[in-house]
Amino acid sequence: MSEVKIKSNNLNVFYGDKQALFDVNLDLNEKEVTALIGPSGCGKSTFIRCINRMNDVIDICKVTGNIEIDGVEINDENLDVVSLRERVGMVFQKPNPFPKSIYDNISYGPKIHGKGETKSELDEIVERSLKKAALWEEVKDRLDEPGTGLSGGQQQRLCIARAISVNPEVILMDEPCSALDPIATAKIEELIDELKKTYTIVIVTHSMAQAVRVSQKTGFFHLGKLIEVGKTEKIFKNPDNKMTQDYITGRFG
Amino acid sequence: MTKEQRLKKRHAAEKRFRLYGVTSILVALVFVLILVNNIFSKGSSAFMKTVINVEVFFDPELIEIENGEPEENIREADFYDITIETLLKAYPAKNLDEENELIDLFTTDAEIEIKKAFLENNNLIGKKINLEITASDDIDQLHKGNYPRNLPEDRRRISNFQLKIYDNLLQNNKINKNFNNYFFNNGDSRDPELAGIGGALVGSFYSIIICLLLAFPVAVLASIYLEEFAPKNKITDFIEININNLAAVPSIVYGLLALQILLATIQLPRSTPLVAGITLALMTLPRIIIPCRASLKAVPPSIREGALAVGASKFQSVFHHVVPLSLPGTLSGTIIGLAQALGETAPLILIGMVAFVVDIPSTPIDPSSSLPVQVYLWSESAERGFVEKTSATIMMLLSFLIVMNFIAVYLRQKFEKRWN
Repeated sequence: MSEVKIKSNNLNVFYGDKQALFDVNLDLNEKEVTALIGPSGCGKSTFIRCINRMNDVIDICKVTGNIEIDGVEINDENLDVVSLRERVGMVFQKPNPFPKSIYDNISYGPKIHGKGETKSELDEIVERSLKKAALWEEVKDRLDEPGTGLSGGQQQRLCIARAISVNPEVILMDEPCSALDPIATAKIEELIDELKKTYTIVIVTHSMAQAVRVSQKTGFFHLGKLIEVGKTEKIFKNPDNKMTQDYITGRFG
Repeated sequence: MTKEQRLKKRHAAEKRFRLYGVTSILVALVFVLILVNNIFSKGSSAFMKTVINVEVFFDPELIEIENGEPEENIREADFYDITIETLLKAYPAKNLDEENELIDLFTTDAEIEIKKAFLENNNLIGKKINLEITASDDIDQLHKGNYPRNLPEDRRRISNFQLKIYDNLLQNNKINKNFNNYFFNNGDSRDPELAGIGGALVGSFYSIIICLLLAFPVAVLASIYLEEFAPKNKITDFIEININNLAAVPSIVYGLLALQILLATIQLPRSTPLVAGITLALMTLPRIIIPCRASLKAVPPSIREGALAVGASKFQSVFHHVVPLSLPGTLSGTIIGLAQALGETAPLILIGMVAFVVDIPSTPIDPSSSLPVQVYLWSESAERGFVEKTSATIMMLLSFLIVMNFIAVYLRQKFEKRWN
């Protein structure tokens, strides 16, 4: 059993008057993939957006409770979100490469964090990130071409490479395969398997099969509450909660 | 109703709608064509001027200078006698009245034109040259066919004797049409054949540049702040509503404001492009902010999130990603705003740009006119020659507007397509 990397404690999130998360207590283990499942609007995306404080972007969003990474409270007004997001990367539902070249997409993060001072350092980071994202072979000859010209699956791997480029500790994935075809999905899943050796990964997914395939731990959300969490095997074979049982067998959701 | 009937009805409705659409487009096109045709048919002749070919003899007895004199001496010299002699040779006149009528066929600047010919080659004393002297406005209009010659003499500005001279000159191929350089190089004048849009062009140019320098940075910074950084609350909502309101305020109100504040209180020099530029900037500001904000809003939020997620600060995500992507829309909005400012007349009239300014302004604080105000000024003038000048000025103004709008469309298309 690996160590706990991220710990949430009585986490509540409000969008204006509407409460989106209710007292979520969830521990995420280091170098493991945790899958979050649940019907649409259940709060799983809201939860992972708390881990890198992306909810700050939304004016009406208010977060109470605690989230700790390596024992350090991140839900703190004085915390610098820039350095937090350097440690916690994110991949979104829809691939969102910058409308710049493939090279610039990857080198942007290291550049703003001062990680690649020279051109050769940047080249190295770009190559390493693309290799880790299993995209290097496909694009190494056209790094100057726009990232938006790649196929959907390639774009998503480019976004993963972009997240990796700043060398984070955690990668959050918000339904990374929902816009992709099965072949591209398979590639991303393979990649996730590989990445978990280095990173702590949290993935939100609507596909039970994907959760089973990629994750070691699964959390089931419903209407803003964390209903059940446990080893993926257990959740899908023998859940404690009736609602979890109903959801994974497709009776609702 | 059966299925067939319903289907028929649906098709008929679509057909009717298409017909309405085509009709509206045709109606709009007809109006545009009428406008363009009217302006072109009236204005295109202003780009040519009528000239009369005369023989100039630089008689040493009529002029005090010698060959090879320095330029300033020539400029000061009196060419009046030579000019009169030259013009009188164009046709035999019997008495003083006839002589005056003959001289009236030429522009009042005939002396300057002869002097200019001498300046180009100051070795002409004692020699004869052929020179094309600009004709007076009446002859110009007569030659262009804008002048009804079958009116009774007492209702014509051109006398029978002058018509006789004109016909004679025409027969001897002494009358030609040349490119009208005065129209572009001269300032305003009381004589239509000498009046030009040079002053108005320069005045409009200075005004628009000042307007751009003031309005663009303020509008862009205001838009970026409002769209990306400002909290969304009642105050910003109120500001937004008021920006939209300001864009709809009649431009004459800005003119009154400028009159009170810029001229009466701050006492900036009146009738100048400086004041015009500031006034137009005030007016253009909301008209740039609106498209600028729209183009910022059009940048997908996923780009902002992507930048934030790799640890860019808010400032970096905005200036590295959002602003560059919104630039085509911002620039085209700015150009369209400036094009509107270029055609604006009412506020400029209030700040005194409607004055009669002969000199071409050399700095933005010289009294000046501007293109739309020049149109307004000339459209009120009685002389026939100003009719074509008015239309020709409108043509110039329209072509600037078309060019600016074209650039706006080009920028938007070229840079928005770039990555797709």
